[in-house]
Amino acid sequence: MKYLLISLSLLLFACASFPKKNNLERINSDTPTVINPYFSDLSMDYIYKAKINFAEKSFGGIFVIKKLGPEHHRVVFTTEMGNKLFDFSFIKDEFRINFILSEMDKKILINLLRRDFTVLINENPIILQQFQTLGDSIFFETRIKNNTYFYLRVDERLHKILETKGSKEKSDYIFTEIENDHAGKIKIRHKNIKLTIDLKAI
Amino acid sequence: MRNLLFLVVLIAHTSLLLAQESKMNNTEIAEFKAKINETSKATTTIHSNFTQYKHLDFLSNDITTQGKMAFKVPNMVKWEYTEPFKYSIIFKDDKLIINDSGTKSNMDLGNSALFKKINQLIVNSVKGNLFQDSDFTMSYFKSSKYYKVIFIPKDEKIKSYIASFILFFDKQQADVMEVKMVEPTNDYTRIVFSDRLINKPLDNEVFTN
Repeated sequence: MKYLLISLSLLLFACASFPKKNNLERINSDTPTVINPYFSDLSMDYIYKAKINFAEKSFGGIFVIKKLGPEHHRVVFTTEMGNKLFDFSFIKDEFRINFILSEMDKKILINLLRRDFTVLINENPIILQQFQTLGDSIFFETRIKNNTYFYLRVDERLHKILETKGSKEKSDYIFTEIENDHAGKIKIRHKNIKLTIDLKAI
Repeated sequence: MRNLLFLVVLIAHTSLLLAQESKMNNTEIAEFKAKINETSKATTTIHSNFTQYKHLDFLSNDITTQGKMAFKVPNMVKWEYTEPFKYSIIFKDDKLIINDSGTKSNMDLGNSALFKKINQLIVNSVKGNLFQDSDFTMSYFKSSKYYKVIFIPKDEKIKSYIASFILFFDKQQADVMEVKMVEPTNDYTRIVFSDRLINKPLDNEVFTN
């Protein structure tokens, strides 16, 4: 019985939420209309030099995101010499593979990329709750495809997206060198999977 | 006014005709090939600047990158991108040597038959020596400014990746001015050469990272 109690309390502790663990205070205020503006301009070609590391392998290339309509983005990755490695379309909840090099056509890799890009291009996630830390940082809690994310806004700008499970961070998406709703650098890190994506605007 | 319009239409029409391409006949093809082979045989090194345009139909502008290309017989090629990022890729002895802004890696081309074929095409196209290749169906065109050869892969796997490979040759020097790789979707990569230096001594060290 004692062990059961200990186990149960450990389990409860492990399940503590991310806001609780980080002493975030729940607030009620208006939610901004656009949470993630970094791929929201229809007139922009978003071009980045990319480095993708996946399980000991590293791919360099050019990463292209273009917004083609409301909830419609095209995401393409080519080598520096212009050879296409993959070409995906995201239209509302639909995901379409226009092309993928056979060497990269692995379900696990496609699912990971799909998940990361869905987060990157999502402009208006449905906000479930808002939290505040000391200062002006606000965390917006949302769920995308059954995963929980916290959007960190500092000085009215999105700086970071955290994917969490219980109280733990699973992945983060960090936006830096921000100017006029354009992120000069984007880093995607995963805690459990050996996949990192580094993007630098060119 | 009507006469002026007629004149404008006539001029537009004539300049269109001037820029138009026509198919080469068999004699012209034979002469052209001989000329290319002669240039290719006399070439031991090539040093050139290049501008690459990546065209994706859905983008507002092509992605433009620039750099330098070096070639040395028999089959060493270095593409060194300098703008807007630093990146170099060397094709040597069936290997790829990459330096991505300081991150160095070697990739065995044997892993990807497709990239191996593409590299072979690049080497041969830089040399202008593509006509021995039985892997392609070729067609020949000429205009007042250039010769153009379209290579269509016979292999279905390569064809699913690159629908055609188009080379533009300078009419005077008979060397490659431009390489265009067209994908099945009509997206393409265009590499335009400029300031080309032929047979300028090139150390083997150029082809190490």
